[in-house]
Amino acid sequence: MSTPAANFNEREHVICQIARLVEERYIYWVGGGGEPLSAALLAKQVHAPNLQYLTEDGVVGPEPLVPFDPLMTMIAARANYRALQWQTMNYAADVAHLGYVDYGILATLQVDRYGNVNSTVVGKYEGGEGRRFGGPGGADTIAALAWRTILVTDQQKRKFVERNDFISSPGFLDGPGARERAGLPPGTGPWRVYTPWAMFGYDIDCQLMLQGISPFVTVDQVLEEMSFRPKIAPKLERLEVPTEEELMVLRTKIDVAGQVTDRGRWIEHRDGKYVFADR
Amino acid sequence: MRILQEGRAEYLKVDPDGYRAHVREHKPHQMVSKLMTHREAVEKLVRDGDYIAYDCNYFQRGPASLIREVIRQKKRRLWVCGKFTYVACALLVEGGCADRIDIGFIGFGPWIARAVREKKCTINEYSNAIMTLRLKAGAMGLPFLPARSFGGTDGFERSGCKLVEDPYTKQPIILVPAINPDVALIHVHQADEYGNARVFGTGIAHQECALASRRVIVSAEEIVSTEEIRRDPARTSIPHFAVDAVVHAPFGAYPGTVQGYYACDPPGVVEAMGAMYRGDFTEYLNKHVYSVGSHEEYLEKVVGAAKIAEIRRRETIREGYCI
Repeated sequence: MSTPAANFNEREHVICQIARLVEERYIYWVGGGGEPLSAALLAKQVHAPNLQYLTEDGVVGPEPLVPFDPLMTMIAARANYRALQWQTMNYAADVAHLGYVDYGILATLQVDRYGNVNSTVVGKYEGGEGRRFGGPGGADTIAALAWRTILVTDQQKRKFVERNDFISSPGFLDGPGARERAGLPPGTGPWRVYTPWAMFGYDIDCQLMLQGISPFVTVDQVLEEMSFRPKIAPKLERLEVPTEEELMVLRTKIDVAGQVTDRGRWIEHRDGKYVFADR
Repeated sequence: MRILQEGRAEYLKVDPDGYRAHVREHKPHQMVSKLMTHREAVEKLVRDGDYIAYDCNYFQRGPASLIREVIRQKKRRLWVCGKFTYVACALLVEGGCADRIDIGFIGFGPWIARAVREKKCTINEYSNAIMTLRLKAGAMGLPFLPARSFGGTDGFERSGCKLVEDPYTKQPIILVPAINPDVALIHVHQADEYGNARVFGTGIAHQECALASRRVIVSAEEIVSTEEIRRDPARTSIPHFAVDAVVHAPFGAYPGTVQGYYACDPPGVVEAMGAMYRGDFTEYLNKHVYSVGSHEEYLEKVVGAAKIAEIRRRETIREGYCI
């Protein structure tokens, strides 16, 4: 069942990367939807049945009944089925303030050199000129208080920018010490950024560093889709493609309607290599 | 206390003494029946210019029927507590009811974007949990509470928060200003006629919202006896003395879910989301708000018995919901 898949799309690939990081010995606060929640649900189905996660409605460690109704990734009975505890948002924030949340998993519209998160506006904020999005929601609390934050976004030039159009939730802000100066607890902050093409960590100066690459792209292709040049690790990890088992769970149990995964390019295994499909 | 940095947005005046005086003068200390219709409750308790909070949202155990009534009654110049919400803010802005929003998370859509560009709507930036913490401060009778999040963001600059030196640890810490909303709309599973109310499952800040707000309308799926409340007091989420009106609103969260009672209606959710993303709620408001005079008529003529049966049937999970 752990056969590498021959056909999958970018979204499925990145969800699998994040799901594989998830371990039962940690507590996660997961963004309420999209790739972050799909990754947690996938991990719980495939290798971490006792995974404990919170969402911002104050659910602790549910065993959700998948698939969910559209948008009903929080509050709803299916999402919060067989939880260990039902609470509210301030309780979730308290738990994170206390230091119980080992990892936060979040999606972002943009990410900059210091791993800051934008979920507010692309373009100019003032005067309402830019393209406006919903706001930080629960992400600010997660990015401020989780010990380590994992971000997911697309590998596109407009998404990897020198400085975000708006910092909705904090990464390393503008470098070492900035989080502490802004009142955030020490020892917390960004840890990884995943895109379908690559994986980034951070160096000692809190700057993004390319650490891993998917088998269907080259380093040059990744750098081409960034507005700034990141540091590059001396040895790059290969991001293994989804397995047939992961894809089956993702497609038949978690994202049956394709709400999360039904976008992005397709990849196929052809002549011993993974390449973008023509379709 | 040394202030290190301050947001520059206007925030609802912080006045814990004024709130205490209000509680003494106007809150129902005695157990009195507060049952009324949607129309009566909104007429009596929602006023033009109010700061309004609602808990959860139009899709997730929110007071959807009360929000529709607020729009039907053409309330004006509301300042909305926009946390954990998708379409309700857009409905209120497009319905002409709201012109200021404190944002945690809202479904923005082109309509609000346009209103902001045309300076018809003011936005202040917070996060969901900063907004619920502001309500918690209001619910504790305090002027502010500290938080170790929100610092360093661009939202901070556009909020009413402050970064100060904590007098105990000498470290920088964020302070959030309390909110005591003028009015709150809260949808619950069960309430008695006095307003002792039960929410089952998770929530956002229903208890904080109720205790922090000057006027509170609770809409309930079921009206239960006070005997039933007394049978299991640990289940009481909101006490009667915080509540000013109790509205019986079966399927009051439609098209959203009330966990354990009924599932959401996916086509109903998609219809509202679609209208928001198109930036045109005209048709939606006509069909779902203006075409009927009451929630009862709405259930009968717009939603229909077959749909109601379907959403009840689709909610298969009962464990934990006290049914």
